[in-house]
Amino acid sequence: MSERALAFGLAAALRHWWLPLVWLGLLLLASLGMAELEAGFRWLEPDSREVIYRRTDFLTLLGRHLLVVGVASLLAGLAGVGAAVLVTRPFGRDFLPLVAQLASMGQTFPPVAVLALAVPVLGFGTLPIIVALVLYGLLPIVRNSLAGLQGIDPAVQEAARGMGMSKGQVLRQVELPLAAPVILAGVRTSVTINIATAALGATVGASNLGDPIISGIVNGNTAYIVQGALPIGLLALTADSAFERLLRHLR
Amino acid sequence: MIELFDVTKRFGSETAVDGISLRVERGEFCALVGTSGCGKSTTLRMINRLIEHSAGEIHLDGQPVRNFDEQTLRRRIGYVIQSTGLFPHWTVARNIGLVPRLLKWPRARIQARVEELMTLLGLPMESFADKYPHQLSGGQAQRVGVARALAADPEILLMDEPFGALDPITRDALQEELRDLQSRLHKTIVFVTHDMDEALRLADRLVVMDAGRIVQQGVPLDLVREPADAFVASLLGGDDRGFKEAALTRVGARMLPLSPRLIARARVHREASLRQALAVMFREHADRLTVVDDEDMPVGELSLRRLVGARPHE
Ligand SMILES: Nc1ncnc2c1ncn2[C@@H]1O[C@H](COP(=O)(O)OP(=O)(O)O)[C@@H](O)[C@H]1O
Ligand SMILES: [Mg+2]
Repeated sequence: MSERALAFGLAAALRHWWLPLVWLGLLLLASLGMAELEAGFRWLEPDSREVIYRRTDFLTLLGRHLLVVGVASLLAGLAGVGAAVLVTRPFGRDFLPLVAQLASMGQTFPPVAVLALAVPVLGFGTLPIIVALVLYGLLPIVRNSLAGLQGIDPAVQEAARGMGMSKGQVLRQVELPLAAPVILAGVRTSVTINIATAALGATVGASNLGDPIISGIVNGNTAYIVQGALPIGLLALTADSAFERLLRHLR
Repeated sequence: MIELFDVTKRFGSETAVDGISLRVERGEFCALVGTSGCGKSTTLRMINRLIEHSAGEIHLDGQPVRNFDEQTLRRRIGYVIQSTGLFPHWTVARNIGLVPRLLKWPRARIQARVEELMTLLGLPMESFADKYPHQLSGGQAQRVGVARALAADPEILLMDEPFGALDPITRDALQEELRDLQSRLHKTIVFVTHDMDEALRLADRLVVMDAGRIVQQGVPLDLVREPADAFVASLLGGDDRGFKEAALTRVGARMLPLSPRLIARARVHREASLRQALAVMFREHADRLTVVDDEDMPVGELSLRRLVGARPHE
């Protein structure tokens, strides 16, 4: 009985989530079996002695990449949604234009410049890239959170207050759930951009999937570049399609 | 009982409500009418403290509303607005159960109450409980809005143009239902509207506002017969005021016992208004109507002279 229910659940999950799962499968396949593609890379890069990046295995690079993007996105999400919530409260309304402006400046500032500025202060390693990613990923989250929170029908808020909900109850039970799809769309943009941008971390000593790319550029080895770019692309597609699925669930 | 003593509300330099005093008795249906922007909604929202008044006192059963905790106060007062403000992400049943849930009623009691209210407002559980607001018609959504306001059985109901956005037929039906409901529930209702016919139809007491002040209040019939000034007179329909008066009187109050004369073919219900009776006369080209009861049995008759209240020998 419960086995059947489980099977049903699995089938339903598979029906909805097959696309992200396919991308994830390809990503794992690429990370685990990059060496199997040696013949192909040899054709791409016939003159180099080595055509498979071997300094670190791809699964480790993928893990570090995920960790950086995950931490940065989590921080950007908390800060972004938090800031948007604060400036849409009566006491924080004065800061609304400021926050909206700061967030859009964050995006016009190139991440490379953030890195260049952050390294002298924070040193080499993972920290500067996380800072750059947080700053860079903040805009879509703040912008969408603001749009989501401000887009709620004023009548709904009036009714919520009029029925006797506390401010916290209105926020948790009405505003955030109603804004969630728009907020999540912002997180999706942020995460997808940052998966690609995180590769820059390799230039400041934060080892991740950007390593093969940088190494490829330095050594003139196209095969390395592809070996970094391929899993990054697949990771971005996995995340993007997973968010797409999640959003459809929410709507 | 709701009492306002010399209540004023200022928004910056603008005075939206200007020293109004008002008393709504327990079980009374009080309509606030006036042109748009005259301060009706502001008055209403000061009662449940969605807006804090700038001066004066507002009492609920003798207690200043400021003495209540905001949330506690509002959970005791039903609130219905024109655009319903239903939560779009909640089902109908969940929307209706909102205040009982805030009051931490046990689940079973909430469930039973929601069912009771849905039946009361003509929304069968089977077809509506799990619907979302966007799946409802305007009239159905407003029924849910009313059910939500009634859920915790509040003593007081504040309604801000609740039927203002509905088509005339739906509005008519909902007005009738509200009248029906009120005759059973005897809530203390403050009802804002700019539709004078709606106010006349529903209210025990009419409060006419203009530019933040009360210009006249009283029993609807008194206002129609003796408007305080030209503004009230025009609000009450100008030359059409006679029709409003006719609308306020039941046929049953004017009819005479059946005479031995030939019974008139055209009929009117005893609960219909004189205005409706007049319309029937016009339509049927008759100057005499047979008054009937619910079973369509003749119970009296109404002549045109009698209808207009013509004095004999005139
Ligand atoms: N929150 C507010 N801030 C500033 N002015 C307001 C506010 N609410 C209402 N007003 C003003 O108060 C006056 C009365 O408004 P309102 O009570 O909504 O009128 P009504 O409901 O009779 O149409 C209007 O001039 C309106 O512009
Ligand atoms: Mg209004």
